[in-house]
Amino acid sequence: MPDGSILSDEFIRELINVGEVDILVGVPTQNDARTVGQVVQGVRAGLLKYFPRARSVIINADGGSRDGTRDLVRAASINDTFGSNLPALRTLHSISTQYEGPPADGTALHTILAAADLLQAKACAVVSPGSTSLEPEWIERLLHPVIREGMDLVLPVYRRHKFDGLLIRNLVYPLTRALYACSVREPYPSDYAFSSNLGTNFLNQDLWTQEQGRHGTELWLTLSAIVGRYKISQSFLGTRGRLEAPPSDLVKAMRETAGLLFCSLDCYPGAWKGAHEPLPAPCSGCQPAVSLEPMRVNRKRLHQMFTFGISQLEPVFASILSGPTHEELKRLASVPENEFVLPGPLWARTVYEFAVAYHRAVIGRDHVVQALVPLFRGRALTFLQENREASETEVENNLEKVCQAFEAEKPSLLQLWDGEK
Amino acid sequence: MPSQQDSLWYKDAVIYQVHVRSFFDSSGDGNGDFRGLAQKLDYLHELGINAVWLMPFFPSPLRDDGYDISDYRSVNPLYGTLEDFRSFLDAAHKRGIRVIIEMVLNHTSDQHPWFQESRSSRSNPRREWYVWSDTDTKYKGTRIIFLDTELSNWAWDPVSKQYYWHRFFSHQPDLNWDNPALREEIWNVMKFWLDMGVDAFRLDAIPYLVEREGTNCENLPETHEVIKDLRARMDGEYPGRMLLAEANQWPADLRAYFGNGDEFHMAFHFPLMPRMFMGVKLEDRKPITEILKQTPEIPDNCQWCLFLRNHDELTLEMVTDLERDYMYDEYAKDKAMRLNLGIRRRLAPLLDNDRRRIELMNGMLMSMPGTPIIYYGDEIGMGDNINLGDRNGVRTPMQWDGGWNGGFSPADPEMLYSPIMLNPVYGYHSVNVQSQKRFEHSLLAWMRRLIKIRKSTSVFGRGSMQFLYPANHRVLAYVRKLGAETILVVNNLSSSAQAVELDLKAYKGNILVEMFGRNVFPRIGDLPYLLTMGPYQFYWFKIRRI
Amino acid sequence: MQGFARFLPRVLEMLVIVLVGWVIAILLRAVARSILKIARFDKLSEHTGATQLLRGAALPSLTELVSRFVFWIAWLGFILVGISVLGVAGFDEHVATFFEFLPRLVVSLFILFFGLLAASFFSRAVLLGAVNANLPSPRIISWAVRTMIILFVLSMAFEELSISSRTVVVAFGMTFGALMFGMALAFGLGGKDLARRYLEKKFGSESGAVAREHEDELSAL
Repeated sequence: MPDGSILSDEFIRELINVGEVDILVGVPTQNDARTVGQVVQGVRAGLLKYFPRARSVIINADGGSRDGTRDLVRAASINDTFGSNLPALRTLHSISTQYEGPPADGTALHTILAAADLLQAKACAVVSPGSTSLEPEWIERLLHPVIREGMDLVLPVYRRHKFDGLLIRNLVYPLTRALYACSVREPYPSDYAFSSNLGTNFLNQDLWTQEQGRHGTELWLTLSAIVGRYKISQSFLGTRGRLEAPPSDLVKAMRETAGLLFCSLDCYPGAWKGAHEPLPAPCSGCQPAVSLEPMRVNRKRLHQMFTFGISQLEPVFASILSGPTHEELKRLASVPENEFVLPGPLWARTVYEFAVAYHRAVIGRDHVVQALVPLFRGRALTFLQENREASETEVENNLEKVCQAFEAEKPSLLQLWDGEK
Repeated sequence: MPSQQDSLWYKDAVIYQVHVRSFFDSSGDGNGDFRGLAQKLDYLHELGINAVWLMPFFPSPLRDDGYDISDYRSVNPLYGTLEDFRSFLDAAHKRGIRVIIEMVLNHTSDQHPWFQESRSSRSNPRREWYVWSDTDTKYKGTRIIFLDTELSNWAWDPVSKQYYWHRFFSHQPDLNWDNPALREEIWNVMKFWLDMGVDAFRLDAIPYLVEREGTNCENLPETHEVIKDLRARMDGEYPGRMLLAEANQWPADLRAYFGNGDEFHMAFHFPLMPRMFMGVKLEDRKPITEILKQTPEIPDNCQWCLFLRNHDELTLEMVTDLERDYMYDEYAKDKAMRLNLGIRRRLAPLLDNDRRRIELMNGMLMSMPGTPIIYYGDEIGMGDNINLGDRNGVRTPMQWDGGWNGGFSPADPEMLYSPIMLNPVYGYHSVNVQSQKRFEHSLLAWMRRLIKIRKSTSVFGRGSMQFLYPANHRVLAYVRKLGAETILVVNNLSSSAQAVELDLKAYKGNILVEMFGRNVFPRIGDLPYLLTMGPYQFYWFKIRRI
Repeated sequence: MQGFARFLPRVLEMLVIVLVGWVIAILLRAVARSILKIARFDKLSEHTGATQLLRGAALPSLTELVSRFVFWIAWLGFILVGISVLGVAGFDEHVATFFEFLPRLVVSLFILFFGLLAASFFSRAVLLGAVNANLPSPRIISWAVRTMIILFVLSMAFEELSISSRTVVVAFGMTFGALMFGMALAFGLGGKDLARRYLEKKFGSESGAVAREHEDELSAL
C-alpha cells in the first residue's frame, strides 16, 4: 500500500472494475462469518427488490478475519459466476478489502467512505455484520430518504428490549439531545445511511489519526451532521436482534460514547453553547419501539459495583465532582438496593461535571471517562428498577424525563464551563 | 449468379432487409417497385451486403403491410409484375446478391380466394384449409399476439356462421396445416418461386402453424413435422436453398426449429436483440452474456440470424416484467411509442442519434455469432414517425437525396404511400444517401467499412465464441475462433472511458492487430492485458503469432 | 596592612561577581518562571500530588519554588566562584565538586518529578481498572503500584546522586521482590476464580455458561 493511502492497489483495481455507482452499501467486519452471510444476502435482496435499476456495490472493509468472512461477502455478487439465477437487471459487485492497522470500526468506515468517494456513490448505507434481523426492507428504509427525499443522514430506530442499550438510553441520547438540540434515538448507529455530500465532508475531516477516527466514529459522524446542520431523519427498521456475543466491555463503550461526547464539547463549542433552533430529525414509520419480554438482570451486582466504585474512587471523584454532588452520591451508596434511586437531575449534573473535568483535564482524560463507569451502573440500576413493570408508554415517558433532566441541567454545564474563566 | 454449391452461403451472408414499397419508386405512383429496387442494386452492392430479404410483395389488401397475402403466385401490381421480379432477381444474382423472400404459411388474407371459397360453404373442398369451430372456446389459454387490437384468437364469420381461428389480425385467418391438400398446395407455391431462382424463404409466424387442444398452440411437434417435410423436399429438389424461421421464442424453444440440421437453416435470435439495447443502457454486459449462455448449441449447418431492428416493433415478449418496464422507461418514454409489448422505433432514434452508440451496436451485430441483418435505412441513420399508425412509422420511404421526395419518387408528395420524414434531425434533407456518399466519415461510409472487414474473414460467420469475463462489467469481450484464425472483440458498453484487464494468458506470446487501422498492439504477456477504451468504443483484434 | 591592600582587589572582584551573579540569578529565575508557566508545570504537578501537599503546608506553588531554587542555585554558584577568586586554599576543590554535583542533582530532581507523575498516573489507572473489573481491594493494589514506582524512582534518583547507590539498589530489589512475591501469593490463591472466569471468557467452554449465570444479559449499546 502506498504511503498515505488507505486503499491497497488491489482494492483500487477492484474499484476500477466497479465504476461509478448510485448506491454503496458498506459492511465492516472482523471474524463475522457466523452472521455476515445472512446479512449480505439480506442487503442484496433489498437492493434487488427496491433499487433494481440502481448501480450498486457492496463493500466489505475487514479487519483481518480468519474465518472466511470475506469469501462469504464476495459470494453475494451477481455476475458471471454468482447469482445468475437471480432476477437482477445488473451486475452487482460485492468486494472485500482488508484495511491496515488493528481492527477498528472507524478505520473500516474510513475505508468505506474513501471507496464511496472514488466511486461517486450518491447514497451510502452501512450495515452491521451482526444485524441478523436485517430484512430487505431495511435497505429501502435507510436509502429511500437519502435518494428520494434529499436527506443527508438517516439514523435507525429499532424495536429494542426496554433494557437494551442502557448507555444509549441514559447517556448518549439524552446528552446529545440536550447539548445539540437534536433528538435522535440512536446517535451511535450500527445501521445507517448518508449522502455523498455528508460522506465527502466527513472523509475530509482531520480525525482519522485520532481516537475518534478509530472508535466511536459513527457517533462522531452523527455529531458532525448535527453541528453542520445537515438534513437528518430517522427510519424505523424493525426489531434489533439481541446479540449472541457477551455484552460489550462497558469501559470501552464509555470511551466510545461519553469520551467522544466530552471531546466534542471542545471541538464544537459554538454548537452547544447558546440557544439554537432544534434540528429536526423526523422519523419515518416510527412505532412503539420497546419490547417487554423478560430478561435476566443482575441488579445486585450493579448496586454492588456502584457502591464499590463510590468508596474506592473517592479521591478521584473528589477531584472531578463538586462537593454537593459528591456528597449526594456518597449518600446514595449507603442506600440499600431496593430503595436505590439515582434520579435524572443528579445523573445529568454528574455527567456535566465529568464533562467539565474532562475539558479541564483535572486528571488524565481517559481516567475521567473510566471513573464515570461505576456511576453509570448506578444509573442503570435505577433505570431497571423504574421500568421493571413498566409498559411501553411508561418506558418512553421515563426516558423522556431523563432527557428533560439533561436539558434542565444544561445551564449548570454552561456555568461550570465558563466559570474557569 | 452466386454458387448454389456453397450450401452454407448463409453463414457468410450480410443480409439487407428491405420493403419493395419503401425503397425506390420508378413508376411515379408513390410506391416503391421492383424496377426501382433493381436500379438501386448497385448501391446495395457498394454497401457490401450479399443477400437481400424482401418483405411480402404479393397481392394483398395491405392491411398488415403485405403479410395478409391474397395471391401467393403473383406480385402486387403496386410493385410491378412477375416479370419485373424476375429481372430484379437476375440483376441481384449478377451482383452476387442472393434473394430471400417471405413466405407467410400460417395465415392468408381474408381476401384470398382460398378463404373466400372456404367460407362460402361447409362442404367446399377448401373448407378444411382453414380452422373452423362452432364455438370460440377451443384452444383456451392461447395467448393473443396483437394485444393492442385483438381481443380473441377467434373471429365470427357471418357468411359461414362459424368462428375461424386467427393468431394475428382478424382479417388474417390461420391456415389448417392438418389438411394434406393445403400442405401440398403450399409446397407447390414454394416450388413456383424456387423454380424462378429465389434463394431462400423467410417463413413468417412459424410457431403457430398447428393447433392442438390442451396446449398453448405454439411450437408443437406437429409443426416441426411440417417443417421437416418442407425441408426434405427442398433439399431434395433444390439444394443450396435456405429456410429462415421467424419464431419469437426463448432460445431453448428455438433450438427445436433447427431439428437435427433437418429443419430450418437459420432462425432469428429474438431474445438477444432487446438485451443488446438493455446492455448499452444499463452499461452492463449481464443481459447479453446471460442470454447467450442460455443459447443452446445448434447443428453445424445451422445459423442464428441477428438483427438490431426490423419492420416490426422491438419486441419485448421474451424479457421479464422488470426488464420490460426498464426498456419502456428508457427507450419509450412516450407511450405512443409502445405497441404490442414492444417499441416501434428505428435504430437511430432509439440510440438518441448517438453516432458512437450506433457504431457500437452495429459492431456487436457484426461480430457476434450469427448472420447479421441490416434494416433498410439504418445504414444512414434514418428516423421514425410514431404518429403513423401501427408499425408504419419505421417503414417510411428511403431517403436518397435532399431533393424531391428525398429522391424516393417523382410523384407528388401527397401520392406517396407514406409521408416522408421531414423533421430537421431525421428528415431527408439531413439524412440521405447522397450527402453521406460525399463524406469519408459518414455513417454510410463507416458501415461499408464495417461490412467489408466483417466479410474479410469467415471467423465472424462460422467461428466459435468464447466469452472473457473481465472484472469490469461494463466491457463485453469475447474471442471468435475458426481454425487457425482467432479474433478478439472488446466492446465498451459504457458512456464513459473504461479501463479493462483481460485474461489472455491462453494467447501468451501473440500480438494483437487492430482490424480497422491494422495497427499492432503490444504482445500478450503473463500479466492481464490492459486496454483503455473511449465511450462506446469497440475493438476487433486479430490475435496473431509472429 | 600590605596584606590587606593585596587582598582588597580580590574582595572587590568577588563583590562584583556576586553582584552580577545576583542579577543573572534574578533573570534566570524570571525565565524559569515563564517557561514553567507556559509548560503548565503547576497543572502537571497537580497529578503528582505535589500541589496539594504544598497548598496544605501553605507553601508557594511548585513553579514558584522551582524558580526560587533556580535563583538560589545560580547565585550560589556565582558566590562560590566569587569566593574562589579570593584564593582560599582548598576552596577551589569544593567549588569544582559543587559544579560537578549540580547537573546530577538536576537530573535526579527530574527523575523524581516525572517518577512521581508516573506513579500517580499508573496508580490511578490501576485503581480505576480494578474497580471497573470489580477486583477485590483495588486501593491496596493501587497503593502497591504507586509505592513500587516511587521506590523505583527514588532508587534511580539516589543512584544518580551516587548516594549509597549499591545499598539502595539492593534494598529496592529486596523490597520489590518481596512485594511481588506477596502479590503473587495473594493473587494466585485469592484470584484463582477470577483467572478461571477470564480464561473461560477468552477461550470459551461449557462451564463458561455456568459462570455467566452470575452475569446479566445487559448490553450497553
